[in-house]
Amino acid sequence: MGKKKKRVSSKVWCYYCDREFDDEKILVQHQKAKHFKCHVCHKKLSTAGGMAIHVLQVHKESVTKVPNAKPGRESTDIEIYGMQGIPPDILAAHYGEEEDDVPSKAAKVDIPPTQLVGGMIPPPLGTGYPSRPALPTMPPVYNPAVPVPPNAWVVPPRPQPWFSQPPVVSVPPAAPYTQQPLFPVQNVRPPLPATAPALQTQITPPGLPTSAPVPVSQPLFPVVGNNHTTTQSSAFSAPPLPSSVPSVTPVMSTNVPVDTHLSSNSSVTSSYQAIGVPGGAASNSHSYASGPNTGGPSIGPPPVIANKAPAPQPATNEVYLVWDDEAMSMEERRMSLPKYQVHDESSQMSSIDAAIDKRILESRLAGRMAF
Amino acid sequence: MSTFGAAANTNPNKSYEVAQPPSDSISSLCFSPKANFLVATSWDNQVRCWEITRNGTVVNSTPKASISHEQPVLCSAWKDDGTTVFSGGCDKQVKMWPLTSGGQPMTVAMHDAPVKDIAWIPEMNLLASGSWDKTLKYWDTRQSNPVHTQQLPDRCYAITVKHPLMVVGTADRNLIVFNLQSPQTEYKRIVSPLKYQTRSVAAFPDQQGFLVGSIEGRVGVHHLDDAQQNKNFTFKCHRENNEIYSVNSLNFHPVHHTFATAGSDGAFNFWDKDSKQRLKAMQRCSQPIPCSTFNNDGSIFAYAVCYDWSKGAENHNPATAKNYIYLHLPQESEVKGKPRAGATGRK
Repeated sequence: MGKKKKRVSSKVWCYYCDREFDDEKILVQHQKAKHFKCHVCHKKLSTAGGMAIHVLQVHKESVTKVPNAKPGRESTDIEIYGMQGIPPDILAAHYGEEEDDVPSKAAKVDIPPTQLVGGMIPPPLGTGYPSRPALPTMPPVYNPAVPVPPNAWVVPPRPQPWFSQPPVVSVPPAAPYTQQPLFPVQNVRPPLPATAPALQTQITPPGLPTSAPVPVSQPLFPVVGNNHTTTQSSAFSAPPLPSSVPSVTPVMSTNVPVDTHLSSNSSVTSSYQAIGVPGGAASNSHSYASGPNTGGPSIGPPPVIANKAPAPQPATNEVYLVWDDEAMSMEERRMSLPKYQVHDESSQMSSIDAAIDKRILESRLAGRMAF
Repeated sequence: MSTFGAAANTNPNKSYEVAQPPSDSISSLCFSPKANFLVATSWDNQVRCWEITRNGTVVNSTPKASISHEQPVLCSAWKDDGTTVFSGGCDKQVKMWPLTSGGQPMTVAMHDAPVKDIAWIPEMNLLASGSWDKTLKYWDTRQSNPVHTQQLPDRCYAITVKHPLMVVGTADRNLIVFNLQSPQTEYKRIVSPLKYQTRSVAAFPDQQGFLVGSIEGRVGVHHLDDAQQNKNFTFKCHRENNEIYSVNSLNFHPVHHTFATAGSDGAFNFWDKDSKQRLKAMQRCSQPIPCSTFNNDGSIFAYAVCYDWSKGAENHNPATAKNYIYLHLPQESEVKGKPRAGATGRK
């Protein structure tokens, strides 16, 4: 709990635009100048939330998106200060190391206000990938490398971070273009002028390209799971669409973390099954299995935290629910007792007694007209 | 594990005991929004009312009145003016009891199955009743027919209202969210973030989300705004060694907006969801706590200690069963949220 990690790498990066800096002070200055600056009076605020409040209170305008931020990262609700406050999944996706994810996330969950940015960063690789425009090229190169390593456990965590990056940037163009080396060059140009109408235009295509890559993604279950969840999430988001168009963007941004969580969630669930009662575990996995099929983003984040908790309890032999009837509540079970069913005669008696008590109490009540 | 009435301690927190408790388990507790009148519904078919008075640190309870249903009563709700009590139960009806005027109770709602939960919506002057007949009905107490019947996916287990937010928890683990500005349409339908049966729900005082408790000793904190999904989380509670107990009741403190949980393990705890801390863990009673509630200013926390069927019928001996209602006077440190150290300096 609260374990500190050494910052081996001096490189820090901006959550909103992925730019890298040598010093966190410079990073903070960059954020204040580029992302937390009031567009009306050009005053530099310290956080996105502070900037939104300033714009609202001083200029009576509402700011819902952090300026100059990448799609999916415009939320003003996340409090970023330099490298502090970055969501664990984004952090994991950026560094691409699964082994550091689990303790990092656990630490952040326990102490959210003092989230520490840590983890082993491969300086040469980390430096190269984000800064180069060839970043979209890396996913296809990494894919053929996946089957090469014989270690099955290493395979699932590695591709996930890489796949989560392109969707963060833009889901539609990344998926099909990664197959052709020439298209990345063209792909790089459209995202640069990131404007609201362009973003909306990109939202429409997601449906079509999402279904197309499904056969390509079949070899990897996590990817298939991502597409499946994304499709259902888009269907789920249909009702809120009429209420407000801008809400579609946050929904899209929510999908990506959900996918990542679901993938890591399944591995944790399997370990939980080993720990728990066989019957209970089966029920657990069944309940969880139905979750992604019927729900959307609301299921994503909470199950991750919920399933991590059992992990550090391998010492516990078995746990069981005191009330384990999933089909019926305690009250329903109790109601089926004959004592509570037919009560004709005794109920008459009790009602008579109640009537007598009522008269007595009413006379007392009448005596106190304090009402 | 059997509890012996004489040896076991049902009041380890030294709370004040309410006089003349019901003769069978208590199913719901609710305080009047205007005064310290406490109503309790019971499996002995009775609905009772006490007046709670305080002299310094001493708390007294005086029985005031009672009415009777034909079968066990499961839920209760006060009208916002503090004059009338609604109660519903296994006789499939909801009765309206003009308690302060001493009038007779009359039936204002009917269902095809027991009524599990009710809520009075003062902004609409309507009563909402949820039943195991898989419907949610809105009633104008001056009419005999419901003004609207909403079909639910499964039996209703819990209702919570904080206008315009209403959340209904059903047996299939669905949580149907309604915006009462258009009560005939589901605003959102969510599968519970908890993987076990829903047992209790509570709307945030700021209407931004809700709590959900399950039989797995876990509480989920869920926000409705998609932009705040990252603030959702769940936490474990009401567990004892290898046994996981139900979270029977969730109540928000009316002033400090922290909340209390009460469970089948006989414990109640106070929590702050914003700083994700447990503010106070009270001692475990020897019997479950099936229901609890705060009074209108949060100075009294009432909880029932009696058997709730969590261990089945075989563990219930009607001859020796005791039923208590206790009143706890929460200290401010127990119910007032405290921000985590270190976070203050950032802003």
